[in-house]
Amino acid sequence: MALLEIDELTRRFGGIIAVDRVSMRVEAGEVRAVIGPNGAGKSTLFNLITGVVKASDGSVRFDGTMLSGMSPYSICQHGISRTFQITALFPEMTARENARLAAQARHVRRWQPYGGSTVFGDAARRGDAALERLGLTHVAHRPAGLLSHGDQRLLEVAMALAQQPRLLLLDEPTQGLSVEETAQAVDTLATLLADRAMTVLLVEHDMEVVFRLAHMITVLHRGAVIADGEPDAVRADAEVQRAYLGGLA
Amino acid sequence: MNFSRGLAAAACVLALAPAALPPYAMTLLTEALILGLFAMSLDLMVGYTRLLSFGHAAAYGLGAYTCGNLLLHTGMPLLFAVPLAALFSGIVAIGVAWVCTLASGVSFSMLTLAFAQLFYAVAFKWTTVTGASDGLAGIPRSPGPFGIAIFAGKAGFYYLVLACLLGSLLFCRMLVHSPFGEVLRGIRENEAKTLSLGYNTRRYKIAVVAIAFALGGLAGALYAPFAGFANTELLFWLFSGQVLIMVIVGGAGTLVGPIIGAAFFMLVSNLLSSWTDSWALFFGLIFIGFVLFAPQGIWGLLSGTGRAEGRERVRWRFLKSTS
Ligand SMILES: Nc1ncnc2c1ncn2[C@@H]1O[C@H](COP(=O)(O)OP(=O)(O)OP(=O)(O)O)[C@@H](O)[C@H]1O
Ligand SMILES: [Mg+2]
Repeated sequence: MALLEIDELTRRFGGIIAVDRVSMRVEAGEVRAVIGPNGAGKSTLFNLITGVVKASDGSVRFDGTMLSGMSPYSICQHGISRTFQITALFPEMTARENARLAAQARHVRRWQPYGGSTVFGDAARRGDAALERLGLTHVAHRPAGLLSHGDQRLLEVAMALAQQPRLLLLDEPTQGLSVEETAQAVDTLATLLADRAMTVLLVEHDMEVVFRLAHMITVLHRGAVIADGEPDAVRADAEVQRAYLGGLA
Repeated sequence: MNFSRGLAAAACVLALAPAALPPYAMTLLTEALILGLFAMSLDLMVGYTRLLSFGHAAAYGLGAYTCGNLLLHTGMPLLFAVPLAALFSGIVAIGVAWVCTLASGVSFSMLTLAFAQLFYAVAFKWTTVTGASDGLAGIPRSPGPFGIAIFAGKAGFYYLVLACLLGSLLFCRMLVHSPFGEVLRGIRENEAKTLSLGYNTRRYKIAVVAIAFALGGLAGALYAPFAGFANTELLFWLFSGQVLIMVIVGGAGTLVGPIIGAAFFMLVSNLLSSWTDSWALFFGLIFIGFVLFAPQGIWGLLSGTGRAEGRERVRWRFLKSTS
């Protein structure tokens, strides 16, 4: 059984079909890139998986549990963490506090209304470790709103990692990063994913990044899956060439 | 000066007040502390969770009417009636918050106002419980248990109010610095993100509204035996607006600030009303001045000035960088 099973997932916005009968299987330990032109429905697919947007039709199963109809918080509690295409942080908190609050969500006493040195201590340890893995330790004390755009993107990834998710959804983690920043971020991600302990869905426009990180690729076009397979097969696919890769080259 | 030393100093000064102040001033000071407690309770919502309530008078009125009825009709001692009324207010708030948190932003605020107006209308009609437009009069400060009667006197009652205020302040501080409080901070800064991180944000919001209502109800419950009466004005929207002004003028998100804001409100409105009938107009101008030139409030101005300003700058840069 695959870790994530998506069946006939559909979402309409008025007349637009943003996601059109998408079916997909993601195996544990797999890094799968979801690619497609602007407006293909990639972010909407993420929003459907994480419960931010409700499906018009179809279902999502995670490790055998039906996620459809669940609220974003309980989906996250099942072990799915994500980043947003538009950076979502707590701008007045320091980077460290951002990561700590993310890790706190995994603590059984996350809501404790008194004290908290144990909860904060445990959460900070995991948060700090995540910051370190993404090379953000040197900016940990700065308010997230004052970080550079690149560091903000990485901080959001660190927050997701601090939750030690089983499934990680990354929506264009390198968007808006400089060439050097992208190279560095991709190196970091490659190291993180090398042990295959985490399953990842990755939306990414940069094909070099995709071919470097992904074991599998799903291509969306106008909401529907037009190709699904290993990178070399997808690269060779004529329809993909027409719909997407060709358009970029 | 750190918090606990400052608090101890303030507590000492306030504890000595009955020895130094004339009865008239003691009455004003007692009322100021009750209003301070009320404003501080609203700060949990407004300052710490960015839940803007336009109907916090509902908490005060609930506490005052409940306590008034307990004291008038059950013969229950003051020391039991007051916390019981606060508890009742907090429990009612769970239902209120359950409905209000179906919405967010301005709609949330409008729903809080709607609930306060609903309670106001009920208080006008439900004569047997609320005395309608006459209100409840002659609310006693019943002694007991074990014949404890010191709280019936002027100074004794003042000490009861002071203890409630200081206890609530310590409780709120514990709360906002706890893991629970950290989640509230997350909701304040980015609720959607907090939800996506796995926090049931609605449950946290309901909890904080219930706590704010319980403490606001405590203030109302103290007010009823303090004034000896409870009437519909305690539930009126104007009062909800005034307590919001106390929070903002005092400094939202600081707990201590709103207490000072309440005292400032009492002081200035007393001074102005002896001068002119349209004192509310002048207080409105003061309020506008604070919003425009000192959004961090009196407490923000007194303690580390640049802090709130720095925060604004952070927010501004962040908005620019994400747009
Ligand atoms: N909340 C919404 N309301 C209405 N239409 C929406 C909404 N969200 C997405 N859409 C539409 O659904 C389609 C898919 O959008 P989506 O953001 O999922 O695309 P995407 O593949 O992530 O694109 P990009 O590469 O630009 O991020 C678009 O036509 C978009 O306009
Ligand atoms: Mg997108």
